[in-house]
Amino acid sequence: MVKFYSNTYSYDYNFPAVSLAYFLRYPNPYSRHVASTDTIERYFDPDTQRLTTVRLHVKQSRLPPAVLKVLPKSAVGSDENGRAQSFILEKSVVDVRQGWMETESKNLDWNNVLSVIERHTFRRPEEGLGTADHRTDVEVSVTLKSRIGEQLRKKRQRWGDQATASSVAGAGGEEEPVVKQGWFSSWSSGAVRAAVESISLQRTERSQPKAQL
Amino acid sequence: MSASLAPECNDVKERYDTCFLKWYSEKYLRNTATTDECEPLFRQYKTCLTKALKERGIDQMLEDAKADNKDNDAEYMKPSGR
Repeated sequence: MVKFYSNTYSYDYNFPAVSLAYFLRYPNPYSRHVASTDTIERYFDPDTQRLTTVRLHVKQSRLPPAVLKVLPKSAVGSDENGRAQSFILEKSVVDVRQGWMETESKNLDWNNVLSVIERHTFRRPEEGLGTADHRTDVEVSVTLKSRIGEQLRKKRQRWGDQATASSVAGAGGEEEPVVKQGWFSSWSSGAVRAAVESISLQRTERSQPKAQL
Repeated sequence: MSASLAPECNDVKERYDTCFLKWYSEKYLRNTATTDECEPLFRQYKTCLTKALKERGIDQMLEDAKADNKDNDAEYMKPSGR
């Protein structure tokens, strides 16, 4: 189960300015939840003039109360106020010759609860330089996936297979309760996953316009 | 300037960031860069950071992510050729 968000827009600034702004995103007063930003890799290819960067951000925020309520306690590593910390890996490639920049940010932890992959493509418009000098086109896409209960469901399926194999003759009645229990638990965790993804999609839709550079 | 997750690396990080922003805006974006001039500073910063990440146990998480990325790279980061 996956939820998907995408959008396109443009900035009234040229591509070099927008790409520089991307690297200067933090700190800023609208993103106080970002506690730190570190560059962990940087590679400049002199032949293609492409710059590849990998950064690590640490974000501190509160889990949405709606999400806290549906999560099983075991999945939640936050303190009692719901305050949690997460690590975001951001990878970007800038091609100054061709005038594009592609970025991908994703969380490194909490993946069992929710995985968010956010991709941006910034592009210099293709029209003649005169009109398009002060514009950069942007495409955003966000993929949200929850994996709550998957581990548990896989374990139960495996256990169910073993039980079937060992009870070939007689005791056929044992199989049914195992299968029914597996189906029920996967239904309920599927519902939890869907709930987490829906809540996250709503928040993405609300916050993405505000998150523009 | 943004802070580092390891406060002990803040100084060397600030020196590197300053160098990078200057190089990026004055050379790279004008298509006149021939090498990464800030590489020596980056190596110093990286040494400090690697030690800090190891101490905090974050290096393993990054290694796992790198392994995932290698598979995605081959497929996703193809030149866009415009």
